Amino acid sequence: MTESSIRRVAILGGNRIPFARSNTAYAKASNQQMLTATLQGLVDRFDLHGQRLGEVAAGAVMKHARDFNLVRESVLSTTLARETPAYDLQQACGTGLEAAILVANKIALGQIDAGIGGGVDTTSDAPIGVSEGLRAVLLDLSRAKTPAQRLAVLARLRPGMLMSLNLPRNGEPRTGLSMGEHAEQMAQHWGISREAQDELALKSHANLARAFDEGFFTDLMTPFQGLTRDNNLRPGLTLEQLQKLKPVFDRKVAPGQGTLTAGNSTPLTDGASAVLLASERWAAERNLAPLAYLTHSEVAAVDFFGENKEGLLMAPAYAVPRMLARAGLTLQDFDFYEIHEAFAAQVLCTLQAWQDKTFCKERLGLARPLGKIDPKKLNVTGSSLAAGHPFAATGGRIVATLAKLLAQKGSGRGLISICAAGGQGVVAIVER
Amino acid sequence: MASRLPQETPVRSPALLAVRALAASRKKPGFVRRLPKRGRARHGVTIERDAVARYAALCGFADRMGVPLLYTQLLSFDLAMDWITSDDCPWPALGTVHLANRVVQLAPLAIGDRVDVLLQPGALFSHDKGQALNLDLRIERGGQTVWTATQTLLRIGAPATGEAWPGAVGTLPGLSRQAELDAPADTGRRYAAVSGDYNPIHLSALSARLFGFRRAIAHGMWTQARALSLLLPPGGVTAAEVAVDFKAPLLLPGRASLWSRRSAGGADFEVRDARGEKPHLRGQWRLLP
Repeated sequence: MTESSIRRVAILGGNRIPFARSNTAYAKASNQQMLTATLQGLVDRFDLHGQRLGEVAAGAVMKHARDFNLVRESVLSTTLARETPAYDLQQACGTGLEAAILVANKIALGQIDAGIGGGVDTTSDAPIGVSEGLRAVLLDLSRAKTPAQRLAVLARLRPGMLMSLNLPRNGEPRTGLSMGEHAEQMAQHWGISREAQDELALKSHANLARAFDEGFFTDLMTPFQGLTRDNNLRPGLTLEQLQKLKPVFDRKVAPGQGTLTAGNSTPLTDGASAVLLASERWAAERNLAPLAYLTHSEVAAVDFFGENKEGLLMAPAYAVPRMLARAGLTLQDFDFYEIHEAFAAQVLCTLQAWQDKTFCKERLGLARPLGKIDPKKLNVTGSSLAAGHPFAATGGRIVATLAKLLAQKGSGRGLISICAAGGQGVVAIVER
Repeated sequence: MASRLPQETPVRSPALLAVRALAASRKKPGFVRRLPKRGRARHGVTIERDAVARYAALCGFADRMGVPLLYTQLLSFDLAMDWITSDDCPWPALGTVHLANRVVQLAPLAIGDRVDVLLQPGALFSHDKGQALNLDLRIERGGQTVWTATQTLLRIGAPATGEAWPGAVGTLPGLSRQAELDAPADTGRRYAAVSGDYNPIHLSALSARLFGFRRAIAHGMWTQARALSLLLPPGGVTAAEVAVDFKAPLLLPGRASLWSRRSAGGADFEVRDARGEKPHLRGQWRLLP
């Protein structure tokens, strides 16, 4: 394959349902319902009824065993041609962006002409597993052949087995610490103040509220179950209200020194998003104007529990310079920065690390630090602190938002950075 | 300087102090224009490992923080009590409250250091509620001043003289809720055991009620130390200044909240009630060059 056969990948548009805090508006909605509604909204907007796309790639972080073919089942519930293939993938909070990258790569290589990347998550309709003991009994029961064997197996049942259920938790298996505790550790390590985190959270809410008021999301969103706006958004939020919140992740990692609160961390959220990607030719044939182009991507992972460990959510700090080097760009060559606000601390630690001589030299192997970014270009229409963060749906939200920002501007370049569980980071460049 | 000071101030047992305090409660001063100049001194006081450890554990200071800069003030407690219960202090001992406190540490103290502790009555201030007065404290090590403090007391109801009391700390905007502070019922008794300050208002609900409090109240210096244990850098400080204004008492057992605005070289802070509304104390600390 030659260099010239790589095609530009156009972002034609995106769609999402408003995001809802866990156990609120979408408490009874399933992943499949949310993803189907989101895909159908995209199909309606771009008149893709009955069309066969190259593929639909999406995923969910919190998933029921019965949803093994979640994305294909969702596609079959839309008006897309039933001949449209689909698959599930999962890379924690990087899922949505990784899905878009995979679809884009196939388009770039000419394997497909158009596809959809997306993600969905619910922490309300969460899978609950039975205890290991009960699971063993149930499996043995299915293997038992005679009534006597079945009775013997049933005799092993204990009431306690019903009480100790396996609930999904937002934690790292390798460290036993929650995501928030890891982020608090990072904030302590980089000396990120509570005040700076609260200010970032306030800005996120103000920016998202303004974007809604200006109608920015009108063609990026399909109302769902009575919701027309992200219900985590607090338009009138004040710094004083944020200051009143207690630190919530300090007990194990920095007792009494905490800086992360419910206000400067993302809440558990339900929602779904999707983006339509295509070759320029496919778009031109259908009279669809590209919003922007997905041009570069990179994924990095860090060792967050070994001897020379790195902060759990610091992988984007490694991924971005590798991508910049490949693209021949500097950190300052961007008009917009979309840094996913898993925690305000994650954003601020990353920005601080890029300015830190020692970190850039010893960890990134760079001769000089990446430097500062213009804070006015950061998350200009709000990000996850205000919108909420349905894990796998955040990538699609950001890709569509950034593509539209670039389309409005006419030309320019945007950087996407998303941290993910397991010490991973997915980043990309969008240009127009 | 030392030559102007009187003879060594005796160390008295809590029981004897109580007797002196009660005896001194019969004092009926008129209008006090200035205080007698006579100070108090104790020489060759050793900083004991066990005493520091008990204090640090009670207030929440980690070992790595060294000798806490408020611990040092305990060394002057006998001097202050001697002065307050003597004829040099025109007012009765009971009914005198701690209004504000300012400490300047110039060099860190270490376990085993032998120091001289000096007390000098200082300025008088008029306060809305009575007469405020300063006790100026100083610690010397090998003839060098390493620590100074000003303890501001308020004699409630006394006719006041002097400049208007300005407060040690101004209003502090922009504080964030940082931590929850638990003050168990025995806090006052435990702090009395390490400080020697057996004022009945700190010991039990019953003894506190005799002096007009619904329940025992935490020592202000304990509350301040508890807050600083969460605010000072984990490695301790070399030279630093801490000032606080004591506000409403913290009833025991109780729960309070710590509010702060921290920076690299210090913090503004308040200890407030559990709801975060009413301040128990308001303070500032900063590193000195």
